[in-house]
Amino acid sequence: MTTTGTATTGTATSTETDRVIGYSRAINEALAEEMRRDERVWMMGQDIGRLGGVFGLTRGLLEEFGPLRVRDTAINETFIVGGAAGAALAGTVPVVELQFADFLFTAADEIFHKLAKWRYMHGGQFTMPVVVRLPSGVVGGAGAEHSQSLETIAMHVAGLKVAVPATPADAKGLLKAAIRDPDPVLFFEHKGLYRVKGPVPESDEHVVPFGSARIARPGADLTVVATGLMVDRAVAAAEQLAPRGIDVEVIDPRTLVPLDIDTIVASVERTHRLLVVHEASRTAGFGAEIAAQVQERAFFALDAPVWRVCGTDTPLPQDPELEQACIPSTDDIVTAALALAAI
Amino acid sequence: MEVYRQVVTIRFAELRIREHVEKEGFGGFWHPGIGQEGLQVGAVSAMQDDDYLYYAHRGLGYAYAKGMALEALFGDLLGRRTGSTGGKGGGTVHFADASRHVLGQGGTLGSSFVMGAGTAAASQLLGDGRVTVVFFGDGASGRGTWHEAALQASVWKLPVVWICENNGWALSARFTEQSPTEHVADRAAAYGMPGVVVDGQDAMAVHDVTSEAIDRARRGEGPTLVEAKTLRIRGHYEGDRQPYRDDPVLGDEIPDDPVHRLGEDIADDVRRGIEAEARTLVEQAFDAALAAPRADRSVIFEDVWA
Repeated sequence: MTTTGTATTGTATSTETDRVIGYSRAINEALAEEMRRDERVWMMGQDIGRLGGVFGLTRGLLEEFGPLRVRDTAINETFIVGGAAGAALAGTVPVVELQFADFLFTAADEIFHKLAKWRYMHGGQFTMPVVVRLPSGVVGGAGAEHSQSLETIAMHVAGLKVAVPATPADAKGLLKAAIRDPDPVLFFEHKGLYRVKGPVPESDEHVVPFGSARIARPGADLTVVATGLMVDRAVAAAEQLAPRGIDVEVIDPRTLVPLDIDTIVASVERTHRLLVVHEASRTAGFGAEIAAQVQERAFFALDAPVWRVCGTDTPLPQDPELEQACIPSTDDIVTAALALAAI
Repeated sequence: MEVYRQVVTIRFAELRIREHVEKEGFGGFWHPGIGQEGLQVGAVSAMQDDDYLYYAHRGLGYAYAKGMALEALFGDLLGRRTGSTGGKGGGTVHFADASRHVLGQGGTLGSSFVMGAGTAAASQLLGDGRVTVVFFGDGASGRGTWHEAALQASVWKLPVVWICENNGWALSARFTEQSPTEHVADRAAAYGMPGVVVDGQDAMAVHDVTSEAIDRARRGEGPTLVEAKTLRIRGHYEGDRQPYRDDPVLGDEIPDDPVHRLGEDIADDVRRGIEAEARTLVEQAFDAALAAPRADRSVIFEDVWA
């Protein structure tokens, strides 16, 4: 694994005309294209067949690929993930869906022990090409057990790769990369982004390599690292700050494992200030990890401490207004950036 | 005759490991499978070469019967570079051989239920005609993973065979205190699959019921639960004094010893020849494993990623 990646501007990876499609549609396209490309690729999960998934992500796939490759399961997360692990050992490439990322706790042994460690425990004799799709984050009143952002937990156990796409183009390109990856990938799709539209290359070969951060907005005065739903809010905050004389650079790591720390450090060396924004709870979140790595590598480039704007250390209330109060708003990012720039 | 050769070889391997544990103050845990070799070989001998195996943690009989080299198995036990895991094993649990379709084992009991069902789902998808055999103990039969795996395997008619080695003990817990029914196999009915009880000390009887279950799975008729009744001769691990046990600790005595049972029909001189050969094979493999280099610290960074 390498943690050095190439920063790109995200959408300029195809010479063909980009269409504007939704994040959901982009994921659906990635699944269909990869299943067409490689007949070993198959899917299982709850309600992914006839219903097309509770969020509609797998619509049309049962009709095209049939019931052996698009399989509805019972409510049995340990089988969905553990079965995928066993199916990977037998030469197939399972892409499984847990209806909510929160359910990774119901399949914790299978995710953190079997997917993450089987290869290692057995001397590298096996690969574990499993993708676990995990609808993540707040979506509007889904409650404390259906709204969490758990990507940091996935980062902490060695052996798992972690993708957090923030745009339709990255949702498609990262999912294709995940399916082609021989290692297990936890793929955190943000539920609040499913309806967001953006340009996506037509090409079947639009694959976004893991470990390559995207500079969502270039800037010179302050670096903001954000993922998922927070990328758009960080860019919106940057637009508000520009007229006030603060030119913010927004970096979206796109994958947290591997993490493109080089692009983040290079940015901080230019801007001398770093703010990390994430929807997940603050304590021991990935913002703390990025802050630690940056101060280890670029301490003398920093003109101010690394700050974080994060979700609250609380379960998420079910009320849609209250839950928004638990995650960073654009205003929260603006306020923090102004204070940080003034240090 | 081949079954006898394998069972005797495994018995000598079990005894050689015990000797090592007792004399060398072995730092790991060895869960002896002594006395259960007959059912292990009996069942595995019903498998084809390219069928998939998930073994249980008691003994190495399954893996040897499936074609793994003794030296690799001993190498894993001893933390040697020549072990099948390249030195990261250092115990008894995580040996594997992809070329022999021995898929390894997890450290959490019962995890093979769901993985085995998934492997069988892959075979069904690929149409490769392979059957997956999953061994487990009566202790692991308590895991909820059993329910999810058995349910899905039965609904999808997956080519998988579950084999419970019921030796009556889950560490310090008696099976009779852990199960509302006399047999684990009774649970098969709830999943619409056959549940078969067989004498686990009778290798050939286990072979026969396993063959039938494997044939059924290969025909696309779904899973079978086989329960082989056996005995736990030694403790949970070698060195366990079993203070919790209120019946006589069995020690070296193996009631209804599967080795003796298989040997009964073999002429004395032939039997002695097989035994001498097996003993030599075990000694040579153990010595070779002992002489092999230990893994150094660099191995800890290997194989995290493909």
